[in-house]
Amino acid sequence: MVDDPKRRGADADRRAFLTRVTCGAIGAGVGYAVGVPVIKLILDPVGKQVVTTPREALDIGSIGKLTVNAPPTRIEIIAPTIKDAWTAQSDVLLGAAWVRRTSETEVKAYSAVCPHLGCAVGWEGQSFLCPCHDSKFAADGTKMTGPSERGLDELPIQIDGDRLKLTWVRYKLGQEKKEPA
Amino acid sequence: MIAKWLRERTGSSEPLMMPGGPSIAYVFGTVLLALLLVEGLTGIALAMFYSPSSTDAWASVAYIQDQASMGWFVRGLHYHGASALVIITGIHLLQTAVAGAYKKPREVVWWLGIVLLLLVLVWSVTGYWLRWDQAAFWAAKVEVGIMSGAPGGGFVKSLALGGNDTGNLTLTRAYAMHVGLISALFVLVTYVHIKLARRHGTTPVKAGGAPTLRWPAQSIRDAVATAIVMAVLIAYVATTGGVALAAPADPGTAFDARPLWPFRWLFELRALAGSAEVIAALAAPAVFGGFLVALPLLDRSDSREPKKRMLWLGGLAGLFAMVGALTVMSFARDANDPTLDKRLAIAEKQAATARRLAAEYGVPATGPLDVYEVAPFSRAKKLFEQRCSGCHGAMSEKRKGPTIADGHGNRAWLAGFLKAPNGDAFWGRTKLAKDEAAMQPVTLGDSDAADLVEWLYAQNGATDLDAKMVERGLAVFDKTCTDCHSRDEGVSGTGPALAGLNSRDYYMSFISNPKSGIHMGVDHSQMPRFDKELSLADRDAIAAYLVSLRSAK
Repeated sequence: MVDDPKRRGADADRRAFLTRVTCGAIGAGVGYAVGVPVIKLILDPVGKQVVTTPREALDIGSIGKLTVNAPPTRIEIIAPTIKDAWTAQSDVLLGAAWVRRTSETEVKAYSAVCPHLGCAVGWEGQSFLCPCHDSKFAADGTKMTGPSERGLDELPIQIDGDRLKLTWVRYKLGQEKKEPA
Repeated sequence: MIAKWLRERTGSSEPLMMPGGPSIAYVFGTVLLALLLVEGLTGIALAMFYSPSSTDAWASVAYIQDQASMGWFVRGLHYHGASALVIITGIHLLQTAVAGAYKKPREVVWWLGIVLLLLVLVWSVTGYWLRWDQAAFWAAKVEVGIMSGAPGGGFVKSLALGGNDTGNLTLTRAYAMHVGLISALFVLVTYVHIKLARRHGTTPVKAGGAPTLRWPAQSIRDAVATAIVMAVLIAYVATTGGVALAAPADPGTAFDARPLWPFRWLFELRALAGSAEVIAALAAPAVFGGFLVALPLLDRSDSREPKKRMLWLGGLAGLFAMVGALTVMSFARDANDPTLDKRLAIAEKQAATARRLAAEYGVPATGPLDVYEVAPFSRAKKLFEQRCSGCHGAMSEKRKGPTIADGHGNRAWLAGFLKAPNGDAFWGRTKLAKDEAAMQPVTLGDSDAADLVEWLYAQNGATDLDAKMVERGLAVFDKTCTDCHSRDEGVSGTGPALAGLNSRDYYMSFISNPKSGIHMGVDHSQMPRFDKELSLADRDAIAAYLVSLRSAK
């Protein structure tokens, strides 16, 4: 065989090309086999209910402690059990609600979470005030002044005999519409 | 094109030359880099889940292993990838030694390699502790015990443990070392190791090889070798199901702790050394490490020809052979231990129980050992096992009373009792069965019997009732049973009171004092009173458990 420099060059080109393809394929294969499980694991909590709080109504005490048309009472919402990823916890404080008895047979509850950006709302004698951005809300939860997009979120509450049963819900923040988060 | 663009702008190095031509001998460095990358990627993913505290560590690893998607696989890759890292590091070291690549001017490259080997081993140990299961806990105890035998060991021990005993600080420290300090040092030393190795170029492994570019001849060898190692690793993880996770660390339960496999030779050496175990465990690695470090200083001839360096290569081979032999002996010792399998089976069962409970109910915030108590009635079941099952357990050989098992107190149980109250599963084994006061089988037509069962069943407070049957059952009761039994609360005839039969309160009252007039009476009961033996809470827990048996299948 005659040593043809041109052909030798072509051989080298072909070898380099094949090497590139092989290395690329190996890189892609190993990257896939390692990368996909790693990404799946990292994405595992996305959209998953990692922290599970009770969806059923919680007993928050007797109706007897509320006086008709008295100022709102702050009640802490305590879940009997929650699960946080791997931990099971008992008696966990979830948040607070402001509760008002509007008549003998009617009780209203408002989430203490400000619908604007989620700070805790307090009762200031005449109205609710969010200390973060000065949103004010009337005793019935309607918005008075400030940046909040909507009034305080009313929480589902029932009277069962003389017990009050409240369902704890978190709503989406910073929008006019009240939607569960 | 992009590579050229980058090269021109970043001034990255010239294309690499291989002075002696391409060789399989050079692939190990690249494989190690690939494994390092795998460890880094899987490590980041795992760190997003892991929680280094004595209450959470095991629970978070169990969560990765059993609940997070692909967690078991990523954890398996991380663990077995580290094993591969140790193995390939060993091969890389041996290959370098045979090639004489530690000789002038590459001594520093060699020494940095020894530092990397040491770092890999510390990496393994700290990583192993993090899972804080029985295996890791006891391995940590032993490892720290050995450390404390060294000069200044008390200080080292206290530094490693974070104080006087294993606990939260042990894990936060091991975690910070594992993902922070050791990782940073490893990357740094690896960088200098590679930089220096490239400055000196590869040591030609065969004489007369013509210098070539690294690309493509060496690159294809590197890529294929990496692919093979990765394929073996991935296949191994996939087929073995990843890494074990034992039951949570339990200072009160013995466990056959074994060190990680790269340390098994020391474990065997300790066993052989007997009373000199601490010295052996500390001196042997010092001799091994010392020889590796001294090698470039001892073997200073110009020749890289292996035949002319038989003394040094022989010494190295001897050390590796000794380590290998001791490792094999250690595994053989376990294989020949007839009782070990039994103990391991118990430990595995314990691990399976703990992990099943953790996945189903979560691990209490009080710590992973409380996971055994999270299942409903776990406490009552334990009490029942200890205090009741001797006389009432269906499996108990010395059973003296009626069996109490799944279905106790349901309709079928009531029907069975009425048909044969002195049958073996009921009063058959009690002295009452032979007494003239013993209850006789109730002979009724099928429909009357079913109605009576429904009425008796209604006594437990059930709501899933057929009201008409209950009503008819009451009539049957009044006609058939009232000679001996009363249906008024707290009132008995000659036989026990049946109001509230098999309800939680009824069980509570019966357990507290079966000899009471409203239950069996002093003369007819062999069962002891438990109102002094068990607390109110314990008795109530058992009562609630007995209620739950009714619907258990």
